Amino acid sequence: MEILKIAVTGNVGAGKTTFIRTISEIEVVDTERRITDEKIASWKENTTVALDFGRLTLNSEQIVHMYGTPGQARFDFMWDIILNKVHAYILLVAVHRPQDFRGARRILTYINQRVQIPMIIGLTHTDCEGAWQKDDVILALGLTNQNIDLPVVDVNAENPNSVAQCLLTLLEQWQPKPTT
Amino acid sequence: MVQASMLNEIIQKFVTSISGIEGAALVTPDGLSLVSVLPSSMDEERTAAMSAAILSLGERIGQELVRGLVARIVVEGEKGYSVMVSCGRDAVLLVLASKETKQGLLFLEIKRLVRELMPLLG
Ligand SMILES: Nc1nc2c(ncn2[C@@H]2O[C@H](COP(=O)(O)OP(=O)(O)O)[C@@H](O)[C@H]2O)c(=O)[nH]1
Ligand SMILES: [Mg+2]
Repeated sequence: MEILKIAVTGNVGAGKTTFIRTISEIEVVDTERRITDEKIASWKENTTVALDFGRLTLNSEQIVHMYGTPGQARFDFMWDIILNKVHAYILLVAVHRPQDFRGARRILTYINQRVQIPMIIGLTHTDCEGAWQKDDVILALGLTNQNIDLPVVDVNAENPNSVAQCLLTLLEQWQPKPTT
Repeated sequence: MVQASMLNEIIQKFVTSISGIEGAALVTPDGLSLVSVLPSSMDEERTAAMSAAILSLGERIGQELVRGLVARIVVEGEKGYSVMVSCGRDAVLLVLASKETKQGLLFLEIKRLVRELMPLLG
């Protein structure tokens, strides 16, 4: 049995916990706590403080383990712990909150400086008011020059089909390393 | 805030008056620092986030493995202890103690401190 470990990362409210809850076949191990930071508490109730964990069986040979990271930068030690254990990751970006794009870019840089693993970008909240167009988000995230083939997909974290599609896109990115 | 300065005073007193205690901090369950008396080499913001993260994981493990309510998380290192305890719904207490500290006494002092802090956190 092969275990494919993936991380789901992104800013607060991007949809990480929802993504994992939507597709996990086990009750998700979450570590959510009530938000006390007033700026965020006005629009969000809970936040992940350690990790989320979910599992999905793909077939008789492969299982996906999904690790959701906390969104806030003060938990970046958890990003390290998780990213050192996974084979690939998804960066979720809420496209209706352009004020968060800088944070998403920061996470991207942080990760790319530490690990070189397959990744994709999932755009969430495309159905919400004020949602940016994909091309504009790509520009804002500074992805135009480097990472030309980096897949950027729309995903609704609340919709099982959409999450499954996103996960498949990530799995397609997989380049199994030859074992030596 | 009157309350914050009182919390600060209590934590300060705890750290200075009990031998072997090297630092203490009170943080919110989502990892923001409320009060901290820590060695200057430690980053207050990261320490707060770490305390909240490990306590939440410990509590989740306690639940998953049916161990009941978690009294404390203890990280025992070569150079001493880090103890994390829940301090009501709104706070997490972190205490750092030297290796020489007697564990039983340490836990007792922490219990006392929590009892003193709780009414102020209301
Ligand atoms: N309308 C809409 N809501 C979404 C979408 N993705 C996530 N959400 C909602 O956004 C909120 C924040 O999601 P959460 O998973 O807690 O974010 P996290 O901080 O990244 O873990 C939740 O209420 C989700 O139901 C989306 O694509 N569209
Ligand atoms: Mg979350």
